Amino acid sequence: MNMGEELAHLHDVSIGYVEPLVHDITIEIVAGDVIAILGPSGIGKTTLLRTMAGLVRPLSGEVELGVNPRGGLGYIPQRLGLVGNLSVRSNVEMGARVRLSKWHPPFLPLPQELADEVNSCLVSLGIDHLADQPVRILSGGQQRRVATARTIAQAPKLLLADEFLGELDDDNVEIVMNAVQQVINKQNSALVMVEHHEELARQVANRIWKITDGRLVEEV
Amino acid sequence: MNKRFLIFASSIVFLAFFLFFDLVGDWGRLSGGWGNLVLFFEESLWPPNWSVLEAQSYPVCEARFEIFCSVAWLGMVETLKIAFVATIFGFLISVPLSVMAASNLSSPYLALPARVLLAGMRSLPSIIWAVLFMIIFDVGALAGIFAMTFYTVGYLGKLQFESMEGIKNAPLEAAKATGMNRFETAWLVAIPESANNLLSHVLFMFEYNVRHGSVVGLVGAGGIGLYLNTYLKLAQYDKVVALLIIIFVVVVIIDFISMALRSAVNEEGDVERPTWSSLFLPAAFTSSNHPTPIKKIDGNESE
Repeated sequence: MNMGEELAHLHDVSIGYVEPLVHDITIEIVAGDVIAILGPSGIGKTTLLRTMAGLVRPLSGEVELGVNPRGGLGYIPQRLGLVGNLSVRSNVEMGARVRLSKWHPPFLPLPQELADEVNSCLVSLGIDHLADQPVRILSGGQQRRVATARTIAQAPKLLLADEFLGELDDDNVEIVMNAVQQVINKQNSALVMVEHHEELARQVANRIWKITDGRLVEEV
Repeated sequence: MNKRFLIFASSIVFLAFFLFFDLVGDWGRLSGGWGNLVLFFEESLWPPNWSVLEAQSYPVCEARFEIFCSVAWLGMVETLKIAFVATIFGFLISVPLSVMAASNLSSPYLALPARVLLAGMRSLPSIIWAVLFMIIFDVGALAGIFAMTFYTVGYLGKLQFESMEGIKNAPLEAAKATGMNRFETAWLVAIPESANNLLSHVLFMFEYNVRHGSVVGLVGAGGIGLYLNTYLKLAQYDKVVALLIIIFVVVVIIDFISMALRSAVNEEGDVERPTWSSLFLPAAFTSSNHPTPIKKIDGNESE
């Protein structure tokens, strides 16, 4: 396994919307990292994740991603971003679709190989029995597992997750983290997650970033 | 309500009355109007002439029931067919246009022309489109289909792009971050996410097109309106009234069916689907005070 492959690099990045929330972030993310971003509410954790996901422009500095723009980055937003009217399977298939060429028509079924991978994602997250249910009727915890399955089916190199372990009980945290860890090992990828529960974050992460007074500091 | 609002609201109402009196002008010319209406009603309109439900003398009726060869049946069925075809064609054209017009799915360079196109199609009423298409296709159903399709595209397109713009941002952001292209995002996220509204709008549009089918027919674009126009020209107002009553009944029936179907696809459809009795009777006679709760699958995975 090629541990140490650089997946993202932030050079002197300042993030925020109008006023900068966090200044001069210079960090790199390498394969195998499981990084937890900690800090109080409203301090810029989600904005940092959204900036890395390419959804917000940095106020200054540069974000370099060493992943394929199509499918290389997996993102689980705080509100999960699932399509409530579609079934669990269709939502998870959406993740697998970005592994195909962008010219592959989205109305055609997935090739068998990817369809099998979708099935194994559903099984590994323990939601295979809900495969045909519309997502909108599921509980919050189940929806979190669907969002995780969608991202895992994508087999991303860099996985960004915004409080995706919230609302999960201990057993489900274990199920979700096992599935994510498998992807990290198999794809040689990295996970960056925003987490409110510090204790939980410290259990699962191997790097901790803290945002305090507008600065991002890595705990050694 | 504060004082300023009351003054503002009363000024608006006062302005409306002022304009009304200004528009009426000479009140003297209205004298005897009611009497004229009563006379016209008694002499020409009532009772309705139900011969419109009898088979036409030509061509010879070969149907099992006479009514199937009647003016009312043939006209109404043609109006329904025109409305159905126009609604489906209009929907098929308006969906891609509304994706292009939605600011959260498309670039401003594409959204603006798409919106202008939709506004243009909407700004001409279907009756004007019917006149234009009659010049191309002559009198008949084809002009009606094209006229109503054009208007449907403009009207439905606006409703649909507004629905698509109203969907939650999180699924779109997740799609964008993962590298989906615009077509995939529209097909896999935006359209399914707004599907309930899209279906509801289509049903509403069908109902609207049935109502307007008779108006479009008045200028010769097929359907029951064509017969209405003929009877109006021949001053056979008792037949006109009979046809209007039939149109009213059909529109009410379609309205109820559409209401039931729309309730089934609305978000509220998960809570309590309407029954047929609930459409005809007041709520106190039909439903319990406690709506059925949304079915939730238990988060516990012990099953």
